[in-house]
Amino acid sequence: MAWQDYTHDMQRCTRCSYCKWIPYRYMRDTGFMEGCPSVSRYLWHAYSASGKFNMAYSLLQKRIEIDDIFLDVLYKCQMDGSCDISCKVQQDIEPLQLMQELRIKCVEDGQLVPAHMIVIDGLRKEDNMMQSKKQDRGRWVEGLGVKDFTSTTAEVIYHAGCRYSFDRDLWPVARGGLQLLLDAGVDVGVMGVEETCCGGRAYELGYAGELTKYAEHQIETFRTTSARTLVTPCSDCYACFKVLYDKIGKKPDIEVLHITHYLERLIKEGKLRLKKKVPIKVTYHDPCHLGRLGEPWVHWQGKEYKVMGQMIVHDPPKKFRRGAGGVYETPRNIIKSIPGLDFVEMYRSKEYAWCCGAGGGVIDAYPDYAAWTGAGRLKEAEAVGAEAIVSACPWCKRNFLDAAGETGNKIEVLDIIELVQRAI
Amino acid sequence: MKLSNEEYKALEATVGPEYISQEPVIMDTYNQVWGNKFFFDEKHSVRPAAVLLPARPKEISEAVRVCNRYRILFKAFSSGFEYLSLSLMNSKSILFDLRRMNRIVEIDEKNMRAVVEPYVSVYRLQMEAAKKGLFTGRIGVGYSAGVIAAECCHHGCQHTMVFTSGYGRNVLGVEWVLPTGEILNVGTGEAGSDLFSADGPGFSLRGVLRGRTGANGGHGVITKASVKLYPWYGPKQWDHKKQPGEALSKGQLESVPDGYKVFVPTFQNLDDTLSASEDLCRAEILCAFGIAIVGTNPYSEGNDEDWAMMQKTAETRARDIDPAGGGVSIANSVVCVIGYQSPGEMEYKEKCLRKIAEQWGGTFYDNLNEPRALARAFADIMWSSGVNLRATGDFLPSSSSPDGSPEMLKRLALQEAEIKRRYEQAGAFLTLGSGARMVSWRPEEHLSIGAQGISTAQYDPYDPASLQAARKFINEIFDPRGQFNRYGVPSRGGCLQIEPVTHVHQNWGPRYDNYDMWLRKIKKMLDPNTVADWTAYIPPEYPDSPKDGDYVLPSYGKAEQL
Ligand SMILES: Cc1cc2nc3c(=O)[nH]c(=O)nc-3n(C[C@H](O)[C@H](O)[C@H](O)COP(=O)(O)OP(=O)(O)OC[C@H]3O[C@@H](n4cnc5c(N)ncnc54)[C@H](O)[C@@H]3O)c2cc1C
Ligand code: SF4
Ligand code: SF4
Repeated sequence: MAWQDYTHDMQRCTRCSYCKWIPYRYMRDTGFMEGCPSVSRYLWHAYSASGKFNMAYSLLQKRIEIDDIFLDVLYKCQMDGSCDISCKVQQDIEPLQLMQELRIKCVEDGQLVPAHMIVIDGLRKEDNMMQSKKQDRGRWVEGLGVKDFTSTTAEVIYHAGCRYSFDRDLWPVARGGLQLLLDAGVDVGVMGVEETCCGGRAYELGYAGELTKYAEHQIETFRTTSARTLVTPCSDCYACFKVLYDKIGKKPDIEVLHITHYLERLIKEGKLRLKKKVPIKVTYHDPCHLGRLGEPWVHWQGKEYKVMGQMIVHDPPKKFRRGAGGVYETPRNIIKSIPGLDFVEMYRSKEYAWCCGAGGGVIDAYPDYAAWTGAGRLKEAEAVGAEAIVSACPWCKRNFLDAAGETGNKIEVLDIIELVQRAI
Repeated sequence: MKLSNEEYKALEATVGPEYISQEPVIMDTYNQVWGNKFFFDEKHSVRPAAVLLPARPKEISEAVRVCNRYRILFKAFSSGFEYLSLSLMNSKSILFDLRRMNRIVEIDEKNMRAVVEPYVSVYRLQMEAAKKGLFTGRIGVGYSAGVIAAECCHHGCQHTMVFTSGYGRNVLGVEWVLPTGEILNVGTGEAGSDLFSADGPGFSLRGVLRGRTGANGGHGVITKASVKLYPWYGPKQWDHKKQPGEALSKGQLESVPDGYKVFVPTFQNLDDTLSASEDLCRAEILCAFGIAIVGTNPYSEGNDEDWAMMQKTAETRARDIDPAGGGVSIANSVVCVIGYQSPGEMEYKEKCLRKIAEQWGGTFYDNLNEPRALARAFADIMWSSGVNLRATGDFLPSSSSPDGSPEMLKRLALQEAEIKRRYEQAGAFLTLGSGARMVSWRPEEHLSIGAQGISTAQYDPYDPASLQAARKFINEIFDPRGQFNRYGVPSRGGCLQIEPVTHVHQNWGPRYDNYDMWLRKIKKMLDPNTVADWTAYIPPEYPDSPKDGDYVLPSYGKAEQL
């Protein structure tokens, strides 16, 4: 659907402002009620989801043009979808999809954010979002002696993703995840230098063509291997393979799992034993792309009609993505199965978790805003008494580390892989 | 209309360059509120020339002085949940977005009051007050809505005011930036004490502030207010729970919290329902009161699920929806919440409630009185569950006035419900069955000072026929010639009291001691240069003459320059 196809939604946004907060019924602490990082940081209504409906409607009516301010508002947003979830507690409209389509329009019109142009340039040349050399892609795995799909085959593909492949600080985590699978006897391999970007982040920036290109490439690659399962420790990649490819009609013929799925499976099967006590109080941060944005895509085609005089319904009934189908329990089950560990929830969790701050291209174009958002989350983790904040995505870990560095916050920032490693 | 460089610079100097904007992209998100289509025939009202984000009263005061100097209109903007009262007379206007003023300054447990800044939402104050055993009433379904907007500026009505009184009556003291730019602390505040009482010697400034239904931004900006709180009998915290995999909208309290009990009696017809309501409210036993139709229903994900549920219900319990089907109707069920501090108090209140229900032939049907339905009703009526405009896109409340005897209110409610039924039967509004007449009474102070009797019309503003019908409906029930023999000026808060649209003051002033002249005098006295936007208050001069039964689109805001 193009951005204009959301006219009905633009008209029906009531400006109730629910999108600025976590859903009211779930508020527990007045210090942590906010849901939208963008409007919390930049204050003007435009920065909320409702503001973007308003902007789109004004654009449609030719009252405004796409200018630098428009781009600033549209892109100082993590595309994390907290607004979407809160809005849909009481509405049948699609704030996040409208924002996505607006970004696609901007790119199509050549209205680009300079910092993103550099990233996309790198992607087109080097197949990654990290402005790094393609030939360095497999270096994170050197010395592990793992199967490489360029020369052999395996049952499971371990897709590290761009961040893990090129962020040296995070290499131990990427390797640790792979090692856990190897130790459990999983027949797993990597694509090595041939691994490419999934295209998901580029799509979120508005570069729809890149998603199609990489989806086709990946599907073709999967076909040439005999692998049955793809596992990724990156939540962004997971949502891309699982949700976005399906959205654009390119669902891969392979089982797509996040590493937490696989670890939980191994724990249940007794192939991974978490025996060592880890006596620390942790909280879990739901990565947006594993949580609410990890909910499978729902295809719907049909028409709107009215019943009971004026109530707007759909034929066939339309299932809106309201976040409930995200991956929430799996990582929690893993964490809770670690002996000696004390687990505590934050005030904003699961469907209505506060974003880490990295998403939607914010970490590339507006690093100070990304760090501000991340710092808010670290503060919340501290407020519930956690000694460590655990996530399941390299983008979260990177951004939390940066935020902690900037604010001097001493909380430990862990990926769930590291926590599991400690328990073995 | 753009501000001149000089004007902009003068305003900028008051808040700093980061906190003022005149960018069209930003401005056009402050003029698209929900009711606009009804009144302006488009979603946009006038685009302001600039929006300011002040952090302190002094900044507002200085900016207002600039407005006086350059004849720029201004208006306060809280969460933006209201409809027409946020629109502007013309585009040489600025808005104060008050979101940076968001502190709960104090919750004074002993004296049962709170001091808040404008961007403190009703729900946030409720959460904090509950920790100290206190409660501020609910405001409509607007839990984002500001305490100050509700209590000092725009007075609607809600289900807890049977106990907490109408919002406008709960103000103890305010800090007020007058339209001249002076900062006034009323009552004890002016004497250097805290904002404990609004009234000093002389006539009541609190009454002036309240006016008929609030000035809706028409006489300055309230920057701090001290408001009354009431007892909260429940726990310090509560949890809405849902099952994993269920949509968030399904989350609910598992039971009515200790300290409260909820009852849902159903009566034979609307007359009996209203008579019973009168007795129930007057017995002074209730904490909240409303009709049962929304609150007790299982929560749904969206319209499609609602529809599926309705169809199922229609099959199994047709009579519960449609009295024309020959049985009792949920339209004649009311939700009664009682709070108690001791078992004895609970026993007494329950006994009293059951006796009144019995007198009017009330029955407590199991499906409306099972624990989860009661828990939903409790949450909905005390805080609102937040479901609002999803069904059709918009709604309009009718115009019953809060003044007058219960007998008059009852007659009026029945008449209005009849009118609404005509439109429903024509398919213009949402209808729950051919016979259901849905009247929601929101009584004030145990009905001692009246009730708002509302029949809410849910219509689709983007369906021309439905929109047309909504306008005709408002035209009819605004009762321009007083054919309903009502006592009191018709009003539904500031929302429909938009003078160039409804001519309320113009039509009704002469009937009630020319009260409109007083309003105008007050306005003139407070705002000699007419810089506080008056569109939802009273104009300096009536801009056009009232025609018989007219509904007109506003005469202002048409010459917008983008
Ligand atoms: C779906 C829906 C249902 C609703 N149902 C009800 C209902 O049942 N009952 C009810 O009473 N209301 C209802 N409302 C209306 C809404 O809840 C109230 O109008 C609420 O008071 C608005 O609060 P706000 O903070 O959003 O104020 P705003 O909408 O921002 O402002 C409201 C008015 O007050 C003025 N104002 C705000 N703050 C100040 C200030 N500090 N100083 C001076 N003037 C100020 C503004 O200029 C404006 O005229 C409903 C609204 C919606 C969208
Ligand atoms: S986007 Fe949704 S939640 Fe936000 S104001 Fe609009 S309708 Fe309300
Ligand atoms: S996606 Fe996130 S940052 Fe963007 S508008 Fe929604 S909640 Fe705000």
